[in-house]
Amino acid sequence: MDNHNDDTTPIVPIHYNLEMGSLDGRAVIEFEDESLVSPAAASISTNKNSFHEITHISAATSAKSYKQHMRNSVIDSIKIVIFSAKINILMPLGPLAILVDKMSGSHGWVFFLSLLGIIPLAERLGYATEQLACFTGPIVGGLLNATFGNITELIISIYALKSGMIRVVQQSLLGSILSNMLLVLGCAFFSGGIVFYEKEQVFDKATASVDSGLLLMAVMGLLFPAVLHSTHTELHFGKSELALSRFSSCIMLVAYASYLAYQLKRQKNQYIPVDGGETQTEEGSDDEEAPEISMWESIIWLSILTAWVSFLSEYLVNAIEGASASLKIPVAFISVILLPIVGNAAEHAGAVMFAMKDKLDISLGVAIGSSTQIAMFGIPFCVVAGWVMGRPMDLNFQLFETATLFITVLVVAFMVQDGTSNYLKGLMLVLCYLIVAASFFVHIDPSSIADKPPKPSH
Amino acid sequence: MEGGEEDQQSPIQRSFSSPGNQDELLKITAESGASSGGSRASSIVTLIYVVYKSIRTVVFSNKLNLLLPFGPAAILVQELTDQTAWVFFLSLVGVAPLAERLGFATEQLAFYTGPTVGGLLNATFGNATELIISIFALKSGLIRIVQLSLLGSILSDLLLVLGCAFFCGGLVLRKEQLFNKATAGVNSGLLLVAVMGLLLPTVLHYTHTEVYFGKSELALSRFSSCTMLVTYAVYLYFQLKSQSNLYVSLNEEGIQIEEGVDDEEAPQISKWESVIWLLVITTCVSILSEYLVDTIEGTSIALNIPLSFISVILLPLVGNAVDHASAITFAMKDKLDITLGVSIGSSTQIALFVIPFSVVLGWIMGQAMDLNFQLFETTTLVVSVLVVALMLQEGTSHYFKGLIFLLCYLIVAASFFVHDSSAGGQF
Repeated sequence: MDNHNDDTTPIVPIHYNLEMGSLDGRAVIEFEDESLVSPAAASISTNKNSFHEITHISAATSAKSYKQHMRNSVIDSIKIVIFSAKINILMPLGPLAILVDKMSGSHGWVFFLSLLGIIPLAERLGYATEQLACFTGPIVGGLLNATFGNITELIISIYALKSGMIRVVQQSLLGSILSNMLLVLGCAFFSGGIVFYEKEQVFDKATASVDSGLLLMAVMGLLFPAVLHSTHTELHFGKSELALSRFSSCIMLVAYASYLAYQLKRQKNQYIPVDGGETQTEEGSDDEEAPEISMWESIIWLSILTAWVSFLSEYLVNAIEGASASLKIPVAFISVILLPIVGNAAEHAGAVMFAMKDKLDISLGVAIGSSTQIAMFGIPFCVVAGWVMGRPMDLNFQLFETATLFITVLVVAFMVQDGTSNYLKGLMLVLCYLIVAASFFVHIDPSSIADKPPKPSH
Repeated sequence: MEGGEEDQQSPIQRSFSSPGNQDELLKITAESGASSGGSRASSIVTLIYVVYKSIRTVVFSNKLNLLLPFGPAAILVQELTDQTAWVFFLSLVGVAPLAERLGFATEQLAFYTGPTVGGLLNATFGNATELIISIFALKSGLIRIVQLSLLGSILSDLLLVLGCAFFCGGLVLRKEQLFNKATAGVNSGLLLVAVMGLLLPTVLHYTHTEVYFGKSELALSRFSSCTMLVTYAVYLYFQLKSQSNLYVSLNEEGIQIEEGVDDEEAPQISKWESVIWLLVITTCVSILSEYLVDTIEGTSIALNIPLSFISVILLPLVGNAVDHASAITFAMKDKLDITLGVSIGSSTQIALFVIPFSVVLGWIMGQAMDLNFQLFETTTLVVSVLVVALMLQEGTSHYFKGLIFLLCYLIVAASFFVHDSSAGGQF
């Protein structure tokens, strides 16, 4: 990662993990504070000839230096955010999906294109979040990570909820938890174990234990409504279980809030690496002290990317049922396996990379922390959102899905309880995920909207 | 301490061994009375005095006994009016001080019998209240209530008591507390054995794979109960044997739990007094339990609360109130091992002793009490045991773990609030 020296301007070295080779004059910009136009940029502008040649945006604009500064900042910002990550090659697929949707009715294509189009957006969203976190200090930064960490899943879920596709919401959130716990963790353990072949990697047991406890609490919250409903022992059939779900969701949100408070308090005492590491996860670089874009830029990009993701999610959600019919794949498989791979792609890469650098605590924070976040925040939040929207979203994920979650949580809890990791554990987790994926490939959901007429219960 | 006089004629006179000037005086009186051939009047006076002193020690020395009048009040209300709900709550409150005094009497008696029998006494009578309530419910044929109240007792010990203790301890001491992982591990294992004993009949019944529908499952329950009782006996033996190694502090301090005082060497009432008080209090508890059990269903209808909620959540509050208080106290004094002994030990006791004992008792009485607690209740138990076992295996505690337990208990309570526990639930 070399730096390009500009004559008078102080330089901040900027490291990109996934860097486009075509970008010649590496961006050398320093933004001192939150203002969009910094004094440094003003001095840079006079030396910016080379940059103008490189950028693809026309330079024919007004001669006012202010506007020039603005555009430079915008251009550079766009360059940093959009063009600096290889994964953003996939970006055009988003608009392409919209085009295909308008022109033809092929749901299968629309689905895949929007799916692939969201991946880079999710990654950039994570990037923008932790850029913002650099400015806001560790506490709010941790909170930001905690809330926005799974914003893609949340956005997709809210759109599905609005369309009344409650089953899709439940299954996609469930799939997200399963993918984080089995696939991401398994890959991380496996690759870390392969790279560090001679030794067993260790991680902090205490956090893992608390996370396992919280996940079991989430399982409890999901299990009781499901069993209550399936044993037909509700007081008011159908309604009691919904009321119980809503009450349990509030409790789970309280638990999550206390969990955040507890974690942040703990960080103040001993735990600096984890937060700093999680902040770096998406970025993959080591300079927490020098964010690459200003605070306002982060906020703006955050909003833009969120809007983009929402836009694409709408197409995605609308295309699910059609894609399932045309590709002959069960909706359950699409919701549980395919959708979460998208939202988790970036976390996946980050976790694997950190495991290979022997920073397993960070990988665990990413994987299990993310599952805890979805289980204790994402799911209850959707129930409450459904409550507000008037949708009967409940915690009854049906017996098969709940059983899957239960077993998965148990397997993972037992695997991480001793605080060590090796490639065999990773391989076992990945193979478990394959089993889960296979089961959902042949699983038809009797109560789903998109499915065929209900079969006799199993 | 014990009087060495061989010529005493009545057992009650042995209580004169307690120190005190008045007692010395009475001793002399008694001796003189005895040696002079026993003047009836003086022995009656001493008898009355002894009884008075005993009552003062046992009944009036504890603040909790302010609640004692609730018991007779419940009986009055039951006879005079028709208010079943009131009778229920009054008897519920009235049992609480009796349960506490029962514990007191038990460990007073334990002083005299040595550590082994003392430990056994604690092990058997530790949950005497639940045992008595179950026996009365069995007699009335209310099998579901027996199952639900015992289940609720386990859940409340595991989640509520332990959660409050961890939470308060963590908040007060502001640090991570440690406890003995081995004990917790053994107890978790035993709880899982009990869970297995409950789970298999339930699942057998629900999958309709019994050889003789309905009857096989009952036979299996009875067999499993015997096995569980054997397990419990071995567990007791193991505990008492290894007292010298691991469990000394646990047991000795365990004896002090109800008393809250540190004089192990000086019991407050004599051995025969303890026995008599034990019997008296047990009788009182039995009487109140009868009223309690009779009014449960009426209360459920009158207050429009599901029967399962009353049995699982409200009933155990009484029997466990004392455990609750002592567990929290010890957690705040950083004696987490005792807390664990109180809460998890108590759940193990109920799971491996009281439940199988009720099944066997039902067998003798001819009641069809079995281990099939229905699918929902069994699921609740399985998940709770897993949550607790997983969280405890690390050997540390902080306020957040306590909070998790408490919130889990809230979820459990809420589920039972909307649960229809009649045995007609189908899968």
